[in-house]
Order: sequence, then structure tokens, then C-alpha cells
Amino acid sequence: MDFEDDTTVLTTLKSFNSFISHTDVPQRLSENSAGSGNLQSQYKRSMELLEAAERAQSKNRYLQLDGEKKQMELSHKRARYELEKVASDSARDLEHEVDRNQDLLGRLKKFEERETEAAKNLSEQVEATRALRKSMEGLNRKLEERDTRLNTANQTISSLKDEIRELKQRIQNQDSTISSQTLENQELQEQLDLQRRKHQEVSQLCQTLQAAQSSCLEHMIKIKELERRLALQEQDIAIVKTVKSEVAKVPDLEKDLKRLRDDNVFLRESRENCSLLKEEVKGLRRKLERMEKKTEELVNIELEKERLVEKLKAWENLGQSTGLNIRKPEDLSREVIHIQQREIALKEQNYTLNSRLRSAERTQNEHRAELAQQRSKTLEEQKKREMQESLVRRLQKRVLLLTKERDGMRAILESYDSELAPTEYSPQLSRRLREAEDILQKTQSHNVEMEAQLMKAQEETGTLKLQLQTVELELEALKMHQASSADSNTSETKEEVNILRQKIEDLESERQRLEEQNNILEMRLERHNLQGDYDPFKTRVLHFKMNPTTVAKQERQQDVEALREEVTRLSELVRSLQEGGAMVQGDCSINASGFGLSLPPSKEVVDLRKQMESLELKIQRLKEVFQRKIQEFRTVCYVLTGYQIDITTENQYRLTSVFAEHMDDSLLFKKGSNGSMQLMETEFSRTLGEMVALHLHHQKSIPAFLSAVTLDLFSRQTTI
Amino acid sequence: MTSTLNGITLKGSAELVADFFSFGINSILYQRGIYPPETFTRVTHYDMSLQLTTDTKLKNYLTNVVSQLKEWLFECTVQKFVLVITCLETNEVLERWQFDIDCDKSAKESSAPREKSIKSIQQEIRSVIRQITASVTFLPLLETPCAFDLLVYTDKDLMVPDKWEESGPQIIDQSEEVRLRSFTTTIHKVNSVVAYKKTDSV
Repeated sequence: MDFEDDTTVLTTLKSFNSFISHTDVPQRLSENSAGSGNLQSQYKRSMELLEAAERAQSKNRYLQLDGEKKQMELSHKRARYELEKVASDSARDLEHEVDRNQDLLGRLKKFEERETEAAKNLSEQVEATRALRKSMEGLNRKLEERDTRLNTANQTISSLKDEIRELKQRIQNQDSTISSQTLENQELQEQLDLQRRKHQEVSQLCQTLQAAQSSCLEHMIKIKELERRLALQEQDIAIVKTVKSEVAKVPDLEKDLKRLRDDNVFLRESRENCSLLKEEVKGLRRKLERMEKKTEELVNIELEKERLVEKLKAWENLGQSTGLNIRKPEDLSREVIHIQQREIALKEQNYTLNSRLRSAERTQNEHRAELAQQRSKTLEEQKKREMQESLVRRLQKRVLLLTKERDGMRAILESYDSELAPTEYSPQLSRRLREAEDILQKTQSHNVEMEAQLMKAQEETGTLKLQLQTVELELEALKMHQASSADSNTSETKEEVNILRQKIEDLESERQRLEEQNNILEMRLERHNLQGDYDPFKTRVLHFKMNPTTVAKQERQQDVEALREEVTRLSELVRSLQEGGAMVQGDCSINASGFGLSLPPSKEVVDLRKQMESLELKIQRLKEVFQRKIQEFRTVCYVLTGYQIDITTENQYRLTSVFAEHMDDSLLFKKGSNGSMQLMETEFSRTLGEMVALHLHHQKSIPAFLSAVTLDLFSRQTTI
Repeated sequence: MTSTLNGITLKGSAELVADFFSFGINSILYQRGIYPPETFTRVTHYDMSLQLTTDTKLKNYLTNVVSQLKEWLFECTVQKFVLVITCLETNEVLERWQFDIDCDKSAKESSAPREKSIKSIQQEIRSVIRQITASVTFLPLLETPCAFDLLVYTDKDLMVPDKWEESGPQIIDQSEEVRLRSFTTTIHKVNSVVAYKKTDSV
């Protein structure tokens, strides 16, 4: 900017200078052109003008310079400001630089440290390199050693190579020898093959030889067999010869045979006879045995009879000797009955006696017991008596004492009476006396009572003694009686005792048995009790009416009834079905009887019937529809083709044209077995010979023929 | 329970015994499979877990019978209480659970409570029920559908109430008996017996 400003100043100066120079020239030109007269004045005026212009110009220039100066100042200011700005910027930069310098210094320090470290590392590495160098040297040494070794090894290798060469040579030699040997070997193998072939041939020969030998052996065996056969045949021949000779004998033999047959028949008959005879013999023997037995029995019977006769005689003798009228066994039995009756009577007597004896014994026992009682009583009585006697004595003694006392008392009283005045003590004494006398009287009365008691006791004892005596007497009598009866019946009594003992034993055993039975019965009772038995007189068994068992049973019963009803219902249904089936179809009834057990439920049958009805209905409807359709089809065919097609018989179709002149004019077609249609001859067809020849025989087209016919008929009708 | 801890009255005894029967019948029905096991629920009583039926019909029946039985026990007129299991197909009695009851009739006159703690009675009852449960091991298997009935042996002079009727003893033909434990409340003594039909294999 400053430069530009400067340049403007400069340019203005330049332009001014140029302007000045330019103006001089035109003015001269104008002065030259305008005239020379006025030149002076003009010159003067121009000079003045010039001066004025110069002044204006200078003024302008001054103004311009002033502006420029101002501008310069402004620019200067601006420049100074900018310079200041730049200075501040540079100062700031300097500060930055100083900071950076410091940073760099820090970095430098760090680098120095690093350098030192690096130097250290370097020294270490130098050392390491030295060590490596040493190791290198060692390695070099080793390498040298190895080189030397390698050299030696190379030497050895070269020597070995030499050896190898030698060996190769040897191998070559050996190869040559081997090849020669292989050649030999081949020769030998060829020889061996030859040998083998020979061997094979030989072995084949051997085999053939063996086969020959075996065949030879077989032949030998065959020969032997044949020889044997020959021998057999020779034998057979001999046999045949013998047979022939025997055959010669055959008629004789037949004769013999006949004879022998006859004999045989005869012998058979005789054998039957013989068997009959044997049976007879057996029967006879049995009879004989029976007879012998009977004879033995007879002898025995005779012996018995004799014995019995003797017995009878003895009996008779006995009867005679005894005087009894025993002649017959009846008499004897009568006698025996008599004796038995007597015995019974005697036994009865015996029993009565025994019972009497027993009663006597019992009474005796009773008497004994009574006696013992009486004795004890007497003893008691005696004791009582003694006691009473002693009592009596004591009482007597007391009485004596009392009398003595009384006497003493009386004496004392008398002495008192005598001594004392009767007035003072008389009432007292008299009272005492009276008391004493009362006591005396009491004692006396007591004494009397006691004496009376004593007497009574004595009397009692006396009576008891008497009783005793009588009892004793009775006892003696009884004893006597017993002794007498015992004497007479000792043996009987003993027996009776034995019997009684036995009875007792029996009874004891029975008792034991009964006890056991009782135990068993108790056990059974216990068991029954455990099983739930009870005494119906004491106990009653109750249960709730609607208990689960009865409920369950009822339910079961109901189920059973329901099932039964169902079964009857079903069986009826089955029957009805079977009958219906029989009416309708034979097969159906068979099936129904066959499947009698697995009946279809009634519902199913009903369903099936419904289905059947609906199907029938459907079929009916279909038939109707078909008929309608067929009718429609036929009418359409008739209208469209002009022919009414009817089926007269099977495979024969009659075509009647719409335009037929007569009702009977029709064409008959027959359908062949291969499906081809053939025209049958009718009256109407006979009139159409040309068309038949043209369309059927020549063109072989029935539709063409038919259309030709229709056209013909149509033309005929329209023409008419 | 009306009875005190230390003694037992006639009424308390009757209730105890009736309770025992209720639980005993339930556990027999459960153990013998007369009713399906899913109709039973577990209940703790006598310090042991027991099975009680939830079948309403059966429950009704049991409460009817047991309440009547309780009355009779109170009157001391029961001699036996029997659970009979019959086969429905053949109407044959297969099992009889018999509980003989000895009533001390003197308890009716004197109302003084007896000296026996409920604890010891319950102990005895527990052991009886345990034995019932254990007896399943030797009883033959019930293979056919069965139903049960409850019989009560009472004194002859008892009035038969409505809904009750006389029945036969339903004794098993050819039975085998096994005695079980007994328990006593000192007023009622209960002896248990199970009788079952001898199987052919034995």
C-alpha cells in the first residue's frame, strides 16, 4: 500500500511534469496560428494565465500534497499500528520460542542422558563384541580344526572312493559271473522243466497204472463174485435137479396131501371132540371133588351123629338118672329156662340181701357214728358231772365257810350286843343282821338250786348212761347181726366190693373222659366265639339296614335285572330279525344265524334301513331322470338327424326316417361282434340298391348313405 | 373328652371306644382296599397318622352306626362289634374283624371315675391300630370286589331302634383266626380278633 501510495505521488508528479511540457507546445502552436500582433499581449496574458494556472496548480499540488501527507500520516499510523501488532506478535512468538527453547533444552538434556546411556550400552556392546570376537576366534579355531578334519576326511573319502572303484570293479566282475551263473541257472531250469515234465508224465503213468490196478482189483472182485455166483448157480442147478426130482414126486405128494387133508379134517373133528371130552372130564372131576368132599362131610356127619347119639344117650341116661323128664331138647330148654328163672330169683334174692346188707352197713355206720357221738356226749356229760361234783364240793365248802362266818358274825354281834348299849347301835346292827340273814337265805336258796341242778345233772347222766347202754346193746346186736351176715356173705361182699371198685374205677375213667370232652367243648366254644358264634338266647345281632353290603348287593341286583331285560329284548330282536331275514333272503338268515352271538344293535339296523330307503329313493329318481334324458336325447336325435332309432332286439337297430313315405319303411342295422354295423335287408332297403352300392359298397360310409337316403326322401316329398 | 386327665368315667370310656372303632374301621377299609385309596385323607390322631374317608355316603353311614354304638356302650349292652367283608360275586364272607367288648356293668351304678390315664389308654389303642395295619401282611389278598357290613352283638332285651334290623352272625366257612392286641379303659375291655377264609393253597 505504501508503495502504491508512493507511486501515485510519483505518477502525479510525472503527470504534472508532462502536463507542463505539453502545454508549452500547444500554446506555441496557438500563438503561431492566431497572429503575431497580439502576440505580446497574449503572451503576457498567457504568461499571467500561466502564472495563475501555476498558482492554482501549486495550490492543488499543495492540497494534493497535504492530502498525501495526511494519507501518508494515516498510512504511517496504520503502518506503525501494524508494526506494533507485528511486534507484539513477534514478542509472543519469541515467548513461544523461548518456551520451545526450554523444552528443547529439556529434551536436549534427556538426549544427553540417553546419549550417556547409549554410550554405556555402547561400551557394554563393545565388551560384548570383544567377547564375541573371542568366541569367534575360538570358533575360527574350531573351524580350522574342522577344516583339518575335513581335509583328513576328504583324504579318507578319496581313499574310500578308490576302494569303491575297486569294489565296483569287483562288482562288475561279480555281475559278469552272476550273469554267467544266471545263464547256467536258466539252462538248469530248462533242464528242471524237462525233468518236471518227465515227472508229470511218469506220475500220469503211475496214476493210469493205479487206475489200472484198481480196475484190476475190481475185475478181480467181479471175477470172485462171478465165481461165487457160478458156485451158487451150480448149487442152484443141483437144487433145481433135486427140485425136478421132487417135482416128479409132486403127484405122489398131492395124493399124500389129499390124504393128509382128510386126516387133518378128521383130526380137527377129533380135536373138537377131544376138547369137548376134556371139558366133560373137567366137569366130572369137579363133580368128583364135590362128591369126595360130600363123602368126607358124610363121614364127619356120621361121626357127629354117633357123637350126638352118644350125647343123646348120655342125656337120656342123665334124664333117667336125675329123674327129670328130659327126653327132648325142648324139655332141656324148658329145664334150662326153669333153672335160669331160679337163678334170676336167686340173684334177685341175692340183690335184695345185698341191698339189705348195704342198708345194714349203712345203719351200722350210722349207729357207729351215733355211738361215737353218744360216747363223746357221755364223755362230755361225765366231764360236766365231774365239774358239777367239784362245784358241789366247792359250794358245800362255801356253805361251811358261810355258816362258820355266820356263827362268827353272830358271836361278834352277840359280843357287841353285850358290850354296847342296845340303843345306840341296835338299828344299825339289826339292819346288818337282817342283811346278813338275807344273804344267808340267798346263799341257802342258791345252794338248794345248785343241789337241784346237781340232781338234774346226775339224772341226765343216768339217762345218758342208760341210753349209752341201750346203744351199746344195739350195737352189739348189730355187730352180731353183721357178723352173722358177714360170715354168710363174705365172699359175695368181697365180690361186690370188687365190682363196686371196678365201678368206681369205671366212673373215674368216665369222669376223666367227660372232663376231657368238656375241655374240648370249651375249646370249641372259644373257637366258635372267635369265629363269631353267639348264644341266641342271650344275644341278638343287629346291623344297620342300609349298610354298604346291602346297598352294593341291591345295585348289583338291579344291574343284573337290567342286563337280563336287555338280553331278552335283544334275543327277541334277534329272533325277529332272523325270521324277517328268512322271509326275504335265504342267505341272510344263514348269516344271521351264523352271527347270532354278535348281534348288531337295533339302532344300527334302523339306520341301515333308513339308508337303504334313501338309496332306493335316489335310484328311483335317477331312473326317472335317465328316462327323461333318454327321451330328450332321442327326440333331439330324431329332429337333428331325421331318423328315429329303435332297438328291436339285441344288437339290432331300426332306423325310421322322418320323410318316409310309409310307416313301415325302415332300415335295419346289426352290430357285429367286432363293433362294425351291417345293413340288413328289408323291403325298403331293396328299393335303394344304387345308394347301397354307391355309399356302402363303394364309399363304405353309413352316415353318407343315410344322408343320401334322407335327401332322396326329402326331394321326393317336396316334389310331390 | 369329658373325663379328666387322671380318671375316666363311663361316658368318657364309651366315647373313647367309639372313637377307636371309627378310626379302626376307617383304617381297615383303607388297608383292605374296600374303598379306593384316593377317597381317603390323612389325619393325625392318637399321635399317629391315620386315613379317614371322604366318601360322603360312607361317612354318613359310619357316623350313624358309631353314634348308636356309643349309646349302647354307655348302656353297657354291647357284647361284640364286628366288621364283615363279603365278596359281592359269590356273597361269601371273606373276613371278619371282631371286637369283643367286656363291659363292666358296675360302672353304671357307681359314677366314680376309674384310675387310668387317657394317655395310657391311647397308647394301647395305638398299638391295636398298628397291629390292624400290620395284619395286612398275612391276610390273603381280596381279589374280587367286596363290600363291608358292621354287626353289633347286643343283649337280648335291647329295643331294636329304627333303621336297624336283626342279622345273621355271618360266620366264615372254614376260617383261620388270629388274635390281635386288646385294650381296656377299665370299664370297657376290647379284644380284637380277625378271622379270614382259609385259602386253598394253605
